[in-house]
Parts: sequence; C-alpha cells; structure tokens
Amino acid sequence: MKKVLALVLTLMMALSLVACGGNGSTGGDAGTAAPSSPSTTTTAPSGGDTSGNSAAPALPETIKIGFFAPVSAAAASADGASAINSAKLAVKLVNENGGINGSKVELVDFDDGLDTTQAANIAEKLAYDDSIAAVVSGSYSGPTKVAAPIFQDAGKLMVSAYAVHPDVTGAGDLIFSQSFPGAVQATGAAVFTAEQLKATKVAIIYVDLDFGTTQVNAFKAKLAKDYPDVHVVFEQGVAISDSDLTSVVTAAAASGADLIYSVNYYEQAAEVLRQVGLQGLNIPVLGTEGADSWMLLDIAGEYANGLYITTNMNRDDQNEQTQAYIKNYREEYGIQPDMVGASVYDAFQVLFEAIKNAGTDSAAMRDYISGMKNFDTVTGTLLYYNAEGSAVKPIQVQLVTNGEYHYAGIVDDAQIIDPANY
Amino acid sequence: MFLQQLINALTIGSLYALTAMGATLIYGILGILDIANAGAYLVGAYLGWYIYYGTGSIVLAFLLSMLAVGLLGILLQRAVYSPILAKPHTLSIIPLVAAVGLFTMSSDAVRLICGPNSKAYNLKFPVETLRVGNVVILPAWLMIFALTAVLLVILWFILNKTKLGLAWRATAGDAEIARVCGVNTDTAMALSYILGYGFAAAAGIMTGILYNSITPALGEVPSYKMLAIIVLGGLGNPMGTVVAGLIIGIAEVFLSVYTAIPIPKDAIAFVVLIIMLLVKPDGIMSRKNKV
Repeated sequence: MKKVLALVLTLMMALSLVACGGNGSTGGDAGTAAPSSPSTTTTAPSGGDTSGNSAAPALPETIKIGFFAPVSAAAASADGASAINSAKLAVKLVNENGGINGSKVELVDFDDGLDTTQAANIAEKLAYDDSIAAVVSGSYSGPTKVAAPIFQDAGKLMVSAYAVHPDVTGAGDLIFSQSFPGAVQATGAAVFTAEQLKATKVAIIYVDLDFGTTQVNAFKAKLAKDYPDVHVVFEQGVAISDSDLTSVVTAAAASGADLIYSVNYYEQAAEVLRQVGLQGLNIPVLGTEGADSWMLLDIAGEYANGLYITTNMNRDDQNEQTQAYIKNYREEYGIQPDMVGASVYDAFQVLFEAIKNAGTDSAAMRDYISGMKNFDTVTGTLLYYNAEGSAVKPIQVQLVTNGEYHYAGIVDDAQIIDPANY
Repeated sequence: MFLQQLINALTIGSLYALTAMGATLIYGILGILDIANAGAYLVGAYLGWYIYYGTGSIVLAFLLSMLAVGLLGILLQRAVYSPILAKPHTLSIIPLVAAVGLFTMSSDAVRLICGPNSKAYNLKFPVETLRVGNVVILPAWLMIFALTAVLLVILWFILNKTKLGLAWRATAGDAEIARVCGVNTDTAMALSYILGYGFAAAAGIMTGILYNSITPALGEVPSYKMLAIIVLGGLGNPMGTVVAGLIIGIAEVFLSVYTAIPIPKDAIAFVVLIIMLLVKPDGIMSRKNKV
C-alpha cells in the first residue's frame, strides 16, 4: 500500500509540475519554421513609418521574445490557450516569412496561472535576462499590472495584448498596450446605447473584477455627462466563479430595463443570454470584448442571436491581414480565433514592426512605437499611440446573426477613442 | 418576481444538496472532509459529456458516468484513504491534504486531457418551458427537482431498508463496535464511496446541463461551498445536507437580489454557516439524529 501511495503522490507532483511549470525553453514551432537562408526582405513598413530610419538596424541572429499567459488557471485557461496559440502562430509565421530582417524569432513562454505572485516571478526572470529583447503579455489585467513596473524598472519593453486596466500602461514609458483600455470601449458602448439602440433604462450585470468595474464606471460616467435621459435602473456585480445568474437576470428584468449591459467574460455573458432567452424576457443585450469568443456562440446557441458587443476585431473586415489570420488560426488549431487570440497576435505584430525598424534596444523600440501611425493590424487600424502608451483605434460593434459575429457599426470619434480626451 | 426567485432558489438549493451529498456520506463514515468529491463532480460531468456525445443518450450518460466515477471512488478509497487511516494516530488533516491533492490533480488532468475550452451539452428537452402567469419553470429545473428527489429516495431506501444500509449506519455510529459485532465495515466504506462519488458525478452532469457549459474550473466553487453545506447540515447527516443545501440556495438568491450587502454571493454560504453555528453549534441536524 505504501508503494501505491508513493506512486500516487509522485504522479500528483509530476502532474502539478507539468501544469504549473513555465516553459522556459524554446517555445513555438520555431524549430521547424527556421528560415534556411537568411532572407533580405527589407520591405517598407506597412504602417507608414515616421521614425525616419532607412537602414535596417543590426539584429542578433535569434531574437528572443518573452511571453506569459494564464494557461493553467482553470478559470482562465481557455483564454490562456487562445493567447499561447496565437503567440506561437505569430512566431511561426514571421519565421516562415524569413524572420525579422533575416533574424529568427524565438518565443520564451511562461504560464502565470492568473496568479500575481507567479506573474511577478516570471517578470523578474524575463526582465533581467539580457537575451530577451522584449516581452508580450498575453494575460489579464491582474498579472499584467504587477509585471509592468518590474519591466519598466529593468528597462525592458513590454506590449500588453488585451489587459484593460489603466495601471498597465501607467507603469511607465516602456509599457505599451496593443488594445484600447476598458474605459474607451465602455464610453463607446454608452454612445451606442443612447444613439443607436435608443435605450433609456439600462440594467448592468458585470463581473466583479478590474475588467468589469473599470468599464461600468466609464459607461455610467459617459451617460451621466452626455445622456441624462438614459438611466441605469439596475446594477449588480457577480463573482467570476459564479455560474448561476438566473436570479440576477430575473431581477434585472423586473427592474423594467429595456437593455442589459453585460460586462462579463464569455461564460457568464452566455449565461445572461441563455437566461434572457429561456425566461422569455425579450430584452436586448449589449456585451463587451469579453463576450467575443466562439465559445459564447457554442454555449448560448440560438440565444446568442441579437447580441451586440463592443470589441476590437471586425470579422467582416476585408483587410487581408484579418482574413489571413482567421484562416491561418483555423488551419493551425481547428477552431475559430477570438478577441484574445487576435489581440495577442497583434501585440506581436507591433513588436515585430518595432524590431524590424528600430532594432532590439528598448529606448529605440519605445521611440518607434510611440511614433507609429495608421498601422494595419488584425484588430483594425492602429491610428497612433497616445502619451499613456495606449493604442488609439476605432471600436468595433458586432452583432450576432445566425450564430456568427458580424459588423454592426464602428465608433471612431476621436473624442471617444483617445482616453487622453477624458 | 418573488415567486420566480423562490423557484430559482429551490433549483440551485437542490443542486447544492446533491453536490454536497457525496461528501456527507463519506464524512459520515470515515470522518474525512473529502474535497476530492468536487473532483468526482468535475470528472463525472466530463465523462457524462463524452458518453452523451458518443451514444446520444443522456440516460446512459448519467448511469455510466455515475458507475464509473463510483468505482473510481472505491479505487481511491482503497489506494489512498484506507492506507492513510490505517496508520495509528493519523492526524485528521492528513487525509484532507491528500484530498486537496487529488482534487487539484483532477482539475489539471481534465484540463490537460480534455482541453481548456468549455464544452456545451446542448441537451434538447422534449417538453416546453412551463409558464404560469409571470412565473417561468424551465425543463432543466424540473429535471433537477425530479432527479434530486429520485436519487435521495434511493439513498434513503438503501440506508434505511437494506442490510447494507444497516451496516453503513452501524459503521457511521461507531466503526470499532460495528466491526466487533461482525459488521463488514469495509463494505460499508465502499458503499460510501460508490454512492458519494456517483452522486457527485450526477450533480456534475446536472450542472453541465443547467448552464450548458463545463470547464476544467467546474469543481472549484463546489470544493469549498460543499464544506459550508455539510457542516451546516450537521456533518455526515444526509437529511441535514438537503435542508442545508436549500437554506443556502435561498439565502444566496434572496440576499443577493433583495439586499445590497457588499459581499460576493459565494461568501453568503459561509456567513449563513457562521450565524447558524453561533445559534446551533451542532448544525441543523446533528449526527445523533436518525437518517
């Protein structure tokens, strides 16, 4: 019996190591994708370079990029998988196309387990490793805002893919975000609520995390400022672990709302939609980028139809890059990409572009990214970076019809999409 | 809205009762807080999903998954818990730590084997949603009420009307004396595990159907909330667990909807537990009461 117990305990330890350990060695499929001959592709940057660098900077033979995502956290592991999948795809494709000015890219990926302590440890490790050129965060606001100041102090540049909390880019001049902050998206949602959906009584159901509270505050602030006739008649936060939203949806409907603003991740957003449909409530639902996932469509099924979301990826965008990304991702992984995956992919594109034109020096990359203009990404045109290091890009509104996300509108008013204006 | 919320509360309460029943049966006989029961709930939900998609039959999914997870329970009892408990002077925290380890392992194993993405049961019910005035009763809720009732009646029958049940009750009362009197306590323990893990599997499948989604995180909330329910129910008392599950379901729904208390819904179970323990330290029904 002792042996059996020992065996079980050993197995447990082994499994937990598999689950929690960072993959500190080479990640991705770089090995198979290494270019056989150094290519001399020095094509002009697609995004209208303003830095004035004409000669290609000297690059090391292999450019290592650090990366972390919440792979093993059960509650976030689907987003973690999307993030790491897209990171590997981005690295694979850039290497297949000859690397960056002939240099091979290597991914050094870690699993933060959605744990801020682990994120801090990973950040310490990556920040002081001189072989790492720069870092991409494929994680949530919690781990990312803990890691950001560590990278800033160490002088290492980080691009965050989709963390919405303002403290992320607030950590310093070396920290950039590829996506817009939560407040921008929520302000756009408030405008869409009042002007397009013409709602007057809004019930808000939100996840009680940075993601939810940041957006709810910005949404309410915009309504209070510009649309005094639109009232918030119900507001309830739910823990991320809470799968039962039946009673919350019943109460939201009883408040007489003519719109539910659901600031939840896809799992809970799907449950809001299911309850609205199953209880026969006939109230439209407006969601956020958290609801931008094929899994929402899978879980909510027919009840997803009619859902509006604010997000950064327009599925109907005829942009070559967007369609190529969707196609490549489907071919590589057999499933549809989502907002998280697309955002991570774009964070790598921003970084690749910076390295291509400015080399791997942090200050040079920072200056290049700060000056980027009209850079085409999978998640729309990145217009420019504001002084806080946030990407300024239009907000996409998508509507679910026949079980698919489609274009329903765009918010590109400069007053709304640049958070420096509030 | 009140009536609707009451039905919402009873649904979630029934599910809680069933979820915590497995851990109650195991505590009743071994005195272990078996957190790994939440792992059985998770594994049961996934097994049920695969069986449902393989055979197209939800009945088979319930039966086979409950049986398989029940047998897994016996295996774990024989391989892990019995050897630990057989040691003299075993601290009660040791089996608890083993259970936590098993639970963590089950979550990670499910994530690694079945993938991190959620899976949907997409079960279509042959009956329509019931509407009485403004009150809505979903077919999934009816199924939960019915299945919980049937499973609890079967449990009551086994524990009170069969020899095996007599052996269980004798072992739960005092294992030493039961053994001296010729009761096969090993069989009673095996019964606890096959029923306990089987119940957890059924609760997992029902949760998967109710929310139309299962993820590797499914067992996280039950792993701690079931503790509040079994302690509130009087540690090891099946009837008490049913009452406690319903009380917590009702408390969660009504406190979160009708009051503006600034605590998360998941914490309400523990607040109710603390209040109850201050008033009645033995729980709602202490173990001395008959099943």
